Formats: sequence, structure tokens, C-alpha cells
Amino acid sequence: MIPAAGFPNRQGLHFTRASPRPYICGLSLRPPEEYGRGEVNQTNCQEADFAGRSISLLIQPHETAERAGPAVRVEHLSLKYGGQVALDDVSLSVGRGSSFALLGPNGAGKTSLISVLATLRDADKGLVEVAGHDVCRASRQVRLSIGMVFQDPSLDDRLSAEENLDFHGRVYGIPGRLRAEAIDRVLDLVELTGWREAIVRSFSGGMKRRLEIARALMHKPQILFLDEPTVGLDAQTRARIWAYLNRQRRERGLTLLTTTHYIEEVEDADRICIIDKGRIIAEGTPGQLKRELGQSFLHVVAATPADHAALLAAYPDSHAVSPEALAIPAGDEDFVAGFLARFGNRLREMRFEGPTLEGVFLSLTGRVLRDRTDGEREAQRNAGRRAGRR
Amino acid sequence: MSSFLPILRGIHGVWLREIMRATRDKGQLLGGVSRPLIWLLILGVGLNPYFRGEVFGEVRLVLPYSYLQFLFPAVIVLNIMYTSIQFAVSVIWDREFGFLREILVSPMPRWAVLLGKVLGGATAATGHGTLVLILARFADVTLTAPQVAQAIAYMFALSFALTCFGVVLAGKVRSFEGFGVFSNTVILPLYFASSSVFPLDPSLTRTQLVASYPEWLIMLIYANPITYAVDALRGILINFNQFPPHIGFGLVGIGMIGFFLWALRSFGR
Ligand SMILES: Nc1ncnc2c1ncn2[C@@H]1O[C@H](COP(=O)(O)OP(=O)(O)OP(=O)(O)O)[C@@H](O)[C@H]1O
Ligand SMILES: [Mg+2]
Repeated sequence: MIPAAGFPNRQGLHFTRASPRPYICGLSLRPPEEYGRGEVNQTNCQEADFAGRSISLLIQPHETAERAGPAVRVEHLSLKYGGQVALDDVSLSVGRGSSFALLGPNGAGKTSLISVLATLRDADKGLVEVAGHDVCRASRQVRLSIGMVFQDPSLDDRLSAEENLDFHGRVYGIPGRLRAEAIDRVLDLVELTGWREAIVRSFSGGMKRRLEIARALMHKPQILFLDEPTVGLDAQTRARIWAYLNRQRRERGLTLLTTTHYIEEVEDADRICIIDKGRIIAEGTPGQLKRELGQSFLHVVAATPADHAALLAAYPDSHAVSPEALAIPAGDEDFVAGFLARFGNRLREMRFEGPTLEGVFLSLTGRVLRDRTDGEREAQRNAGRRAGRR
Repeated sequence: MSSFLPILRGIHGVWLREIMRATRDKGQLLGGVSRPLIWLLILGVGLNPYFRGEVFGEVRLVLPYSYLQFLFPAVIVLNIMYTSIQFAVSVIWDREFGFLREILVSPMPRWAVLLGKVLGGATAATGHGTLVLILARFADVTLTAPQVAQAIAYMFALSFALTCFGVVLAGKVRSFEGFGVFSNTVILPLYFASSSVFPLDPSLTRTQLVASYPEWLIMLIYANPITYAVDALRGILINFNQFPPHIGFGLVGIGMIGFFLWALRSFGR
């Protein structure tokens, strides 16, 4: 038990011993009964050094405290399109104020899952709760508490940036003055203030994307769904938007549920869920996944087709990451030494990769994650070809 | 209810977007102006002398109106039909270009979204109908202020019903290209088979009518709801009715509710 005397306001403190380490829940004047119990976890706690002991403080903002429980709860969800299964017995839970990443190859069912969460599609089976409300029975409440960035464009490109945002504000019932303020705020965030009156059709792809993200934030949602939000954005803009989103997370408990193809963005997520062919195949913090499932890989390109075949025969558990390149699971340094002794002079290229999320993904699905934009991949391939010819 | 004001705000927002799009669409605006001009200037003026039966020396007035006067209300209805039914393109556009999803994840109920859209489309169509009213003097139709007000109110109701009909059509059609052909095959037959460009002389009995027109055409005209819609507008604008005017008003009223409910069923799927 932690002595509570050190805190000025005893009434707002609430102790729980549900976890091995003591947590203090809620720094608020609300009576403790109003807080949900049992939802303390790594993701909605901030660690603080208190009285020489490391304890965790649960920072739970007022508006989200009204409904206890996780931001998103999915149990045994199944979804079919005609006869084709898109989601198969999916269960997951996203803590409030956390950042959750969905990772999966094309056609895995990420967009389908988000559509169900956003009330756009009805599940065939299973329970889905968003912001504490059932998506079927209380879809209006759900829609009021979520913001959405779609994978595909969803702007009216014949209207100006401001008109698009104004439309959004009206449809979400935001009154006039607040609407104007919100438009200023979000346009500034995505640095489109100078393009306020420009027709969206004249925007570049990245600018449109930024405008969509701005729009999704306008009505201050509790939960934000981002379906591959940063495809086509330059690194600077991406960093700026993530910084803003993370600040919103800290300050008002915004929950983020993202699908992304940028591994480096996933590394920052609190939890990652890997999904393939409609099923969840792994879930955990990035550290956990790498520790438990991560493998080192040796990425190699053989010098000749004959060598390639020899490599395949010697290492049947290797994955083909491209027509030429192979990823061979590498145990440790000894493995590499042994490998080099055998094949060292029959390679054109070799790269050692320690445990990464890409590696986790590769060993789980046998495929590389298509994490690069097409342009980038094309450029790499061309560069490789040029190097090969020389 | 406290959630009513936000919904009104949302309906207004949806309406506003339709209006902005209609006023910015130069092609649609051009069509709205040129269509009545062509019909009245060329067809109306061209057929005007024949309407009186003066051609073969014998003067027989079919109706106590000139052809231009007779045609004028029908051209208004034609303009409204085009704009309302073409409104379906806006619905298809939203669906194909993803904007519909932005609306469907918003907290607005579906009926409110549809109401906003339909009100917007109906306003634009009424605007195009009102454009024709400006040509009234040219067609020898003199209008009093209450007549104009009555006509605009009626035109709005008709536009609303037809716009809902357009949304229903949008639910059945998958592509823009398909819709262009489709709308013409719907609008023009409905229009021509509605006693819009030629009168059914009300003084004739049914047997006499059948003597001058083939039976199937008369059946078609009687079965066509646009016949009564045009007739009711004639009643308002030139005080001439071939049928009891309440049939037209009743049909428009039923159309507003019926098509709205039907459109609601197909909207957003
Ligand atoms: N409207 C639809 N009708 C029929 N099948 C669909 C539909 N939408 C998706 N699917 C199918 O459902 C599966 C999952 O699709 P989904 O769009 O959810 O994948 P995703 O993980 O978002 O992929 P991506 O990374 O390409 O966006 C795919 O096999 C796809 O073919
Ligand atoms: Mg997708």
C-alpha cells in the first residue's frame, strides 16, 4: 500500500492491487466509484518516480472517465462478403488513450475491421463495442465519439478546403463560432492555412491526405481510426502529425487505432496486432513481439541461379522476399560464421538483420510486409539492377 | 430533444453543399437556361400558328390559349424533371468518389442526410423552374404575385418528389455513363406522353378523343402521372385544366412521401 498522505487531495485517489505493482488511479475530484476498475495496464499509465519507488499513475481524463472500459472491445467478430471470409473470429481490446497498430498485408482485413468499428458495416457474428457503446444498438453514440481517416480519398474535391471542413463541422453539429475556431486550429496543424480557399482538386496527394487528417480531428473525437493515414506524406509532415496526435493522447486521452505500412510508425505504438487472412496471428507490445517472435535474418542474393538453388536446398526454411533475394533465419553469430564458410564466395549481396518487426512479420506469414510505397520500391529495384549490370 | 438542433445544423450543411455544387456547375446552369429557350423559342414559336388550326383557311380554336401559353407550364415541368432526375448523378458521385462514407460515419441519422440532400436538389430544380418563369411575359402569360408564389410552392413540391425519384434511380444504376442514357430514356417519354406538347381537348368526349388519337396514346397519357403534374401547374399559371387539379396536387403529395421512403431504403447501401 502506498501512503496517500503525500497527495493533497485524498478523495480523488483510488488504489488498486490488481497488478503486482501498486497503481494510483485517477487524479481528479471525482469520487472513485465513477472510475472503472481493472483497466489499468501499461498503456494507459504513465510511470512516475514517487517517494523513491517507481509507481504508475493512471491519467484518466474526465470525458473518457464517463464510460469505463476499453475504447474498443471486439469479441469473436466474423465478417463475410458473400461467401468470402474477410474477418474470422477476431477478438481484441484497445485501452483508452493508447496507440494501437494493426499490421497486415494487402487483403488481410484491416479496412474491413475498421469499417465494422466505424458502424459502416454490420458484423455477421460477434460483439463490438466502441467507446463503451455497442456499434449496432448505439451507432449514433459510437459515431459521435470517433474520427475517421479513410484509406481511399473521401474529400469533395470540387469544394475548397475550408468548405470541406465547414461541411464536416455542420454535419457533426458544431455551432458557428466553435466551427470557425476548429477550422483555424486544424488547418494550422496540417499547415494548410494558406490554402484555405483553394479548391481541393488543385491539391497534391499529400495535401489532400493532410486535409483529411485535419477533418477527422475537427470534432475532437475520443477515438481516431486511421487507415493507412500517412501514405504519401513526407517524413517531416508525418513526424509533425504524429507529434500532434501523441500530444492529444497525453492531454485528453485520445485513443489511436492505426493501420500503417510504415514499420517505423508501428514501433512507437503501445500495442501491435498482426492480422493476416482475417485472423489475428500475434498481438503485444513491440518489445514483446520482437522478444518472443523476433528472429534474426540473413538477407542474401546469390551470385548465380545455380547458387540460388543450392541455397534453397540447404536452407528449406528460408523465405523468398523477391525473385532474387532470400531471407534465411539466422540463429546466432555461429550460424553466420558457418554460413559464410559454406556460401561466402557464392553471394552477390548479404545483409544481417537483428530481430525487427519486419522479421516478426516475415516469420509469421512467410511474406515481407509491403511497407514501402511503390515508388520507393521501384527506385530500389532499379538501383539494384543498375548495380548488377556494372 | 437536445439532439435536434445539431441534426438541423447537419441538414443545413448537406443542403448548403448541394446548392454550392449546383451553382458552380456551369454545364447544369447552361442546360437550365438553354433548354426552355429552345423549347419556347423554336418549338413554341414554330408551332404557334398551327395550334389555332388557321392553316387551311378554316380557323378553329382548339383551346382559348395560344400554343406558347399552353406549352409554357410544360416547359417549366420539363426543366424541373431534368434537374431533379439528374440529381441522381450527385448521389452516384458521392458513392463512387468516397464522399458518402464521410457522411455515413457522421452522427447524422440517415434520413436527415437524405432529407438535406433532397432539399438541396429540390431547391436547385425549383431554381431552374423559376428561371423559366422569367420568360412568362415573352410567352404572353401574365402573372400576379400570388400566382407566382403558388407556382413556386408547387414547383418545389414537384421537385422534391422527382428528386427522391432520382435518388431511387441512383440506387439502381452503377455508373455515370449508364445514367446519362438512362435518364434520357426516362425523362423524354414521360414528358412527351403527358399531354405536355399537345392538348387533349377537354370538350371532347372519350369516344371523340379516340377518333382523333390512337387508343394506346390516350391510355398512356391517362396513366402518366406527369400529365396531372403538368395539368395542375397549368391551372395555376394559365387557369386551364384538362383534369381536376386536385389529382395533380394529390399525386405530387403522394410522390413526395412515397419516393422519399423508397429512396431512404436504397440510400447508403
Ligand atoms: N466490398 C467488398 N466486397 C467483396 N469483398 C471485399 C470487399 N471489401 C473487401 N473485400 C475482401 O475482403 C478482404 C479484406 O479486405 P480489406 O480491404 O479489409 O483488406 P486490407 O487489409 O484493408 O487490405 P489493404 O492493405 O490492401 O488495404 C479482401 O480479400 C477483399 O478482397
Ligand atoms: Mg485497407
